[in-house]
Amino acid sequence: MTDPSRGEDGAQPSSRPRPDGGATVSGDGADAPGRPAGYGSVPDRRPGALSRVTARLGRTAITGLIAATVVFLIAPVVITVAASFAREWTGLFPSGGFTLENWKQALGLAQTLGAQRGLGSVSLSLLGLSVTIPFATLVFSMALALGGVAINLVVGVPIAYAVTRYDFYGQGWLNTVAVLPVVPGIILGIAFLRTYSHLPSAVALVIGYSLLKAPYMVLAVQSSFESMDLRQIEESARSLGASWPRTFLTVILPNAKRGIVSGAIVCWTLAAAEFNFSYIVYSRGPKPFSLFLFENISNNPFLRVAAAVSIYFCIVVAVTALLQATGQRGFSIGGAR
Amino acid sequence: MTVQLANVTKEFGQTTAVDDVSLTVQQGETLGLVGPSGCGKTTTLRTAAGFETPTDGTVSIGGTDVTHVPPERRSVGLVFQSYALFDNMSVRENVEFGLKMRDVAADERAARARELLELLDIAELADRDPTTLSGGQQQRVGLARALAIEPEVLLLDEPMTGLDAKLKTRLQEEIGALLDDLDVTALYVTHDQSEAMVMCDRIAVMNDGRVEQVGSPDEVYERPANEFVADFVGTSNRLPATARDGRLDFGYATTAAPNGHEGEVTVVARPEAFRVGDGPFEATVRERFYLGEHVRAVADLPDGESVTLRVDPAEAPAAGEQVSLALQTDRVHVLSES
Repeated sequence: MTDPSRGEDGAQPSSRPRPDGGATVSGDGADAPGRPAGYGSVPDRRPGALSRVTARLGRTAITGLIAATVVFLIAPVVITVAASFAREWTGLFPSGGFTLENWKQALGLAQTLGAQRGLGSVSLSLLGLSVTIPFATLVFSMALALGGVAINLVVGVPIAYAVTRYDFYGQGWLNTVAVLPVVPGIILGIAFLRTYSHLPSAVALVIGYSLLKAPYMVLAVQSSFESMDLRQIEESARSLGASWPRTFLTVILPNAKRGIVSGAIVCWTLAAAEFNFSYIVYSRGPKPFSLFLFENISNNPFLRVAAAVSIYFCIVVAVTALLQATGQRGFSIGGAR
Repeated sequence: MTVQLANVTKEFGQTTAVDDVSLTVQQGETLGLVGPSGCGKTTTLRTAAGFETPTDGTVSIGGTDVTHVPPERRSVGLVFQSYALFDNMSVRENVEFGLKMRDVAADERAARARELLELLDIAELADRDPTTLSGGQQQRVGLARALAIEPEVLLLDEPMTGLDAKLKTRLQEEIGALLDDLDVTALYVTHDQSEAMVMCDRIAVMNDGRVEQVGSPDEVYERPANEFVADFVGTSNRLPATARDGRLDFGYATTAAPNGHEGEVTVVARPEAFRVGDGPFEATVRERFYLGEHVRAVADLPDGESVTLRVDPAEAPAAGEQVSLALQTDRVHVLSES
């Protein structure tokens, strides 16, 4: 059996460049008529030791590196979720068996002191009837972030379109303002408190989320728009008899679907996790999600924290999947489909 | 339907993109708009489509003034270089789009789409996603989509520019024949003069926002109106000469003059107007390119000018060879200096 690496090296020594780096073209190189002086003096490239190693091990090395990175990033998530179901965690691994107690406490379902801090059910007294809505606070805080996304869709998508499609005065400025993460959440929060002191918490939070996360929506949608020939697509549709609004809804938006969906997911995830702004602006009413996380994290045992974080993971995954699914189906507003 | 542009001028700020252009495309005719990039041919087409409103002048289709009618109410079909297919729809849905916008019933739409896809020889692609098609297939879909609405006029903007040479030739022949068969009135923009010659009944050569000449392909090639047209359409040798007493005097040689010119003139001679052999022009072959069906040679004349020759490979001179050239008087065109 032949060693493939030896065979390769030894097979055709004559076709290899000379080890001294001299020209493999014989004699006439430098003096040939019509060639510039010094032609042929550039030595052939000789791979160094490092490039020979990477050529052989490159694929394995990179695969290994990626695998290590993924494990490193995933491990905390796996450990946290595992811990959230553990009764005890004293050593290296969770112990004491499986329990849902941590989740119950984090969600405010357990009759403990933490209940009022959790995202439990809300009881309303309406016309003498007492109605209990389970997880109302949780749903409400998810809706706050979704409200921010909705504003971004209505405002951000047209801005991304205008900046990509048209040339107009102030275009550069609009683009810069739209994609700059204008101010940190904490500063925007203080500004909101000063300027709109009478605004209900929920409204202020939704507006603030949309302002803070707008750049992610604009950038994602803009890159979608930039990958198509907007003008020719639009003109094709119009020449075929579609009015401008119809063109926008049936042709332009569906073609930017990918960007819109990914922009919405990024905006929602970041808005749900936005702590600084929420912390400053929130005063009363149902709590934004990031504050729920914070309070569960700040003065609770690790297992309870793990449960709260796991809930956050679940919600992020669920909303992402929901937005994806909406994106897959929901883009045929009166189109040809 | 006849399309008429009358004294159309389009300015963008300080720039005049189209300068007093008047053109008529007759019913069933394909008129080519050719010229270098930036000559205003695309703006002219966009004005005809309704995407640009002329600064001055009028556009009419079938005798009706449509200068201020928006594109969606003009009945024009557009075919673009980038194909501009709707990637969110299948091939069939793309073709049906215009009919849907006209509220044509679903079964009628489907029948019409099938008919067009068959006509363009892409019936088997009906359910495919446009992004999975090759450039040539996408352009067929684009054409089917534009034709589906039975437009009064078809506007094509560099439709073949992105295609490779062989496919281009095939599509040119096929689509040219199709446009003839369907008796479509079409305006065809291209920077490629040879494509215009294949596809178009008449050609308008544009430069700097103006129309330099309108004529059939052979008129434009054989009797160019000026040096620009002579230079842009095909390869041309332009030689300064003096016309006197029915002869052309080049200084180093004389030949018979084709018609009654006098004084300083420019002689436009195509590469095939020269014959290698016995003639009054003494020249030295500088370069020689073998192109298969013919040989292109560049030869230096005694006054330092050089001429491009098109020679049969069997008779082609070698590089460096001294040759005598004859100029076929009936194949040259003389432009008087103005």
